[in-house]
Amino acid sequence: MKTDINKVRNIGISAHIDSGKTTLTERILFYTQRIHAIHDVKGKDGVGATMDSMELEKERGITIASAATFCEWKKHEINIIDTPGHVDFTIEVERSLRVLDGAILVLCSVGGVQSQSITVDQQMKRYKVPCVAFINKCDRSGANPFKVINQLRDKLGHNAVAMQIPIGLEEKLEGVVDLIEMKAIYFDGDNGEILRKEDIPENLAAEAAEKREALLESASMFSDELMEAILEEGEISADLIIDAVRKGTLLREITPVYMGSAYKNKGVQPLLDAVNNILPCPSEIENQALDLDNEEEPVVLSSSIDDPIVALAFKLEEGQYGQLTYIRVYQGALKKGDTVVNVRTGRKIKIGRLARMHAAQMEDIEMVPAGYIGALFGVDCASGDTFVHPDINLTMTSMFVPEPVISLAIVPVDKKSEVNISKALSRFTKEDPTFTTYVSDETGDTIISGMGELHLEVYVERMRREYKAEVETGKPRVAYRETITQRAEFNYTHKKQTGGSGQYGRIAGFIEPFSEGDFEFENKITGGSIPTQYISSCEKGFQSCLKKGPKMEFPVTGVKIQINDGASHSVDSSEMAFQAAARGAFMEGYLKAKPVIHEPIMKVVVETPTEFQGGVMGSLNQRRGIIVGTQDEGAICVVEAQVPLSEMFGYSTNLRSLTQGKAQFTMEFLTYRQVPQSIAEEIVKAAAEEKKK
Amino acid sequence: MLKHLLNPLSVSEGGSTGILSNNGLGAVLSRAGVGKTSLLVQFAIHSLFNNRKVLHISLDDSVKKIHVWHKEIFRSMATDIDLPENVWEKILSNRFIMTFRVEGFSVPKLEERLSDLIEQKIFKPDMMIIDGLPFDENISGSLEAIKKLSEKINSKVWFTVRTHRHEEIAPNGLPTQIADFSDMFEYIINLNPQEKEIKVEVLKGRDDEVNEESLYLDPSSLLLFEK
Repeated sequence: MKTDINKVRNIGISAHIDSGKTTLTERILFYTQRIHAIHDVKGKDGVGATMDSMELEKERGITIASAATFCEWKKHEINIIDTPGHVDFTIEVERSLRVLDGAILVLCSVGGVQSQSITVDQQMKRYKVPCVAFINKCDRSGANPFKVINQLRDKLGHNAVAMQIPIGLEEKLEGVVDLIEMKAIYFDGDNGEILRKEDIPENLAAEAAEKREALLESASMFSDELMEAILEEGEISADLIIDAVRKGTLLREITPVYMGSAYKNKGVQPLLDAVNNILPCPSEIENQALDLDNEEEPVVLSSSIDDPIVALAFKLEEGQYGQLTYIRVYQGALKKGDTVVNVRTGRKIKIGRLARMHAAQMEDIEMVPAGYIGALFGVDCASGDTFVHPDINLTMTSMFVPEPVISLAIVPVDKKSEVNISKALSRFTKEDPTFTTYVSDETGDTIISGMGELHLEVYVERMRREYKAEVETGKPRVAYRETITQRAEFNYTHKKQTGGSGQYGRIAGFIEPFSEGDFEFENKITGGSIPTQYISSCEKGFQSCLKKGPKMEFPVTGVKIQINDGASHSVDSSEMAFQAAARGAFMEGYLKAKPVIHEPIMKVVVETPTEFQGGVMGSLNQRRGIIVGTQDEGAICVVEAQVPLSEMFGYSTNLRSLTQGKAQFTMEFLTYRQVPQSIAEEIVKAAAEEKKK
Repeated sequence: MLKHLLNPLSVSEGGSTGILSNNGLGAVLSRAGVGKTSLLVQFAIHSLFNNRKVLHISLDDSVKKIHVWHKEIFRSMATDIDLPENVWEKILSNRFIMTFRVEGFSVPKLEERLSDLIEQKIFKPDMMIIDGLPFDENISGSLEAIKKLSEKINSKVWFTVRTHRHEEIAPNGLPTQIADFSDMFEYIINLNPQEKEIKVEVLKGRDDEVNEESLYLDPSSLLLFEK
C-alpha cells in the first residue's frame, strides 16, 4: 500500500435525492476500474448500483447509510464516502462529514439548487468542507447549467465559477469545453471511456473565451502570479490557473463548477481530474480531537504516521464477512497486530484483520496510515467510537449523547419476526447511540426510542427490509417528565401489625427542586434516629418512586431529598419497612411540592422561499411554537423556532402543503420545559384513560 | 443587580414607559465595537421585563448570534438574583429577531414581514431595535418611512449609528451621520470610550431631567451602571 498522503483524497458526493449521485458514483468506479460493468439505479438487471448496499436503498433508489469505497485515478487514491442526503439522519450525516476532506456537490441541470441541496450545502459549510460542483443530467430536456450556476451564487452564496461549458445540451449533448486548456473534450467508446480532445467548435469559441475570462478573473484573486500573468497578457499555464482555483477552493471562497451527464457517460473523467487537482489531501485539513483528561478541550491532531494512533469508527456494517467497522485514521498508523484502546469502553483491542472496502467487496491490507480509511473485522464497538494508543486519552466525538425524546411500541407479527427483531435492535443500537430500546415492564412490549418520528420510522422500515422482521407499531409517545416546583416537608410513619413481627419506620425531611441533575439524596440524620444500616434502604425506597411519578406516572427528574429525622423499632424495623416508609414519605412530600409536567422542546429550523414565510410562521405559532427569529437570505428565508415535540407530529406533510413542497425543516432536541397548565390537564387525562384500558 | 433588570436607570427603557415616547425614535452612536448593540439589548431586556414586546432587527448578524447576545447579557444582568425558572422563556415569547442582509433590506419589506406577524396575531412590537442601518449612505427616505411605520403600529424605534474616529462634527454639535436628521429623534445617545469606562452621553434628550453625568458602560461586561 502506498503512503503518499498528498495523493490521497477522502471525498463525499453530496446531493439532492434525484440528482443522480449514485449513477455518478457508479461511473467513477467504472472509469477507475473498480467495477467492470455499469448497473443503473433501479436497474432492470436486478443488480443495482454498487454503492447502495442496503436493500431499502436499492428499492427506493436512494442512499441512506454511508459506505466507503476506495478507487484509484491517475495515481491518486480516492476514498468515496457515500453521504446520506436525507436531513433527518443527523448522526450519520455528521459522522460522514467529519470523515471526508472534500466533496463533490452534485446538482441537477434541470432542477438546479433544490431545498435539499441547500441543507447539504449548509452541512458542508458547518464542517468547512471544500467542494467542487458537478452539474449532472445535462442531457435532460430543459437542461441549463448556467441557470444552476446562478442559483449556486444566489441561493447558496457560492462564488461559483464555470470550469467548462457544454458542447450542445439536452439530447444534443456531445461533450464539454475545458476552459483551462481551451480544448473540446468528447467521450467516445461504448461507455465514454475514450477521451478525444479537439479544437473548440467555432460556434462556441466566443462563449468559451468569455467564460475563460470570467474564470481567470475569479481565480486571480487567489494568486498574485496569475494576476501578473494576466496583466502581462502572456501565456498562462494550466498549472497556474489550477493552483489559484485550488487555493480559493480550500478557503471555500470559490466553487469550481464542472458539468456533464453521468448517465450518458459524459464529463466524469474531467471531474475526477478535478478531485485530484483541486480538492485537498488529508494533511491539508486540520482535524481536532477532544482531550478527556482536560475537560474535552480540543486538541489538534498531526497527520504524521509516527505519532500515537487516533482513529474513528464511523460506520458499522453487518456484511457477509461478519461485523465490519469502517475507520478513519487521523493520526499515527493502525497496523495489523497493534493493540489499541476503545476510549468509550476503556477496553483493549488487538487488531486482527485490516481491509480496504469497495462497497460489498474487500481487499486485505497490512496498515492504515493517518488520513486513510479502512475496515476492521470482528471488533466489538459502536459507531462513533474512537480507538487510540493506550498512552493517550483523546476522543473524536463528544461523549455526550442526548436522551431520546420519543418512543414507540413495536410488536412482532409472528415468531420468526420476533427472533429477527432482537438481531436488528442489537445492531441498530450499536450503530446509533441516540437509538435505544427496552422492554416495558407493564405491557411486555418492546419499546424503541429515538430523536424524532422519522428517526424511528426509518429503523422500523430497516427491520422489515434487512431483517425480514414484520412489526406492528403503536402510537409514538413523547417522553414527558415530572418534576416539582417548590420545597415540601414530609414526616411519614410506616406501621403494620399483622401478627408476628410487624413493620415500623418513620422518616422525616424535605424534598426540593434540584437543577444540577436528576436526583440527589442527602442524609442529615444525627443521633441515630434512623440506624445507619437502614439509610441505604431509605435511598432505595425514594429511588424506586422516581421511575414513575405518583401523580402522572412519568419519570421524575430534578429532585433533591434530604432526610433529617426518623424513628425505628428494635424488633419491627427492617430494610423492607424503611423502603416502604420512604415510598410513603416521597408520596407525602411530592404531592405538596406542586409537581408539574415537563415536555421536550425541539429547535425547529425551516428554510422556505420568502413568499411562504408568513404561512410558515403561522404554522409554527399554531403548534405552540415560540418563534425566535427570521433570517432573510435573499430568495429564501430561515425561520427558527422552539416547538414542543408533541406538536410536531405530521409537520412535514403540513409544511409541504403550505409551501408547495418548496420548504424544508430540521429538528433537534433543545431542552425540557414545563407544559402549560391547560395542556398538562389533557395529558393527565389521557394518561389516566390509557391506564384504565 | 436586580435593579439592572427592573428598576430603570435614569436613561433606560425600563419602568412603566421607558424614555422614548410610544412611537418616538432614538439613536445610539459610537464607533465600531464600543457597545451600541449591548446598550440596546439592555434596553430591550428592560422593556421585556416590563412586559413590552421587542423586535430586534439586525442587518449585520445572524439570528443565532443575536439570540446568544440577548441570553448572555440577560445572564450577566441577572447574576445573583433568584429568578423563577421560566423567566427566560417568557422573555423569548416577547422578543422576536429579524435579520436581513444589508443590501436586501428595505422598509416596505420590513413592513410586509411585520404585517404578516401582526395579522396572524403572532407578534406586535412595542419597541423595535434597528441595528446596522448604514447611516453613512443616503437613508433619509428609509428614515421617513420607518418613522411612518412606527406611528402606524405604535412602536418606538431605537437605531444604532456607527460613527468614525476622526470625523468632523456638524454645526449643531452632532456627528455628521445624524446631524441632518436630528429633528426626527427624541433621544440621541453617544457612547464615548474613556480610560477606564465608556461614558454614556445624552446629546439630545426629551427633557432636561436626565442626569447623564453619572452613566457609564462597564467596558468588560458592557453593562450600564450609575456612579
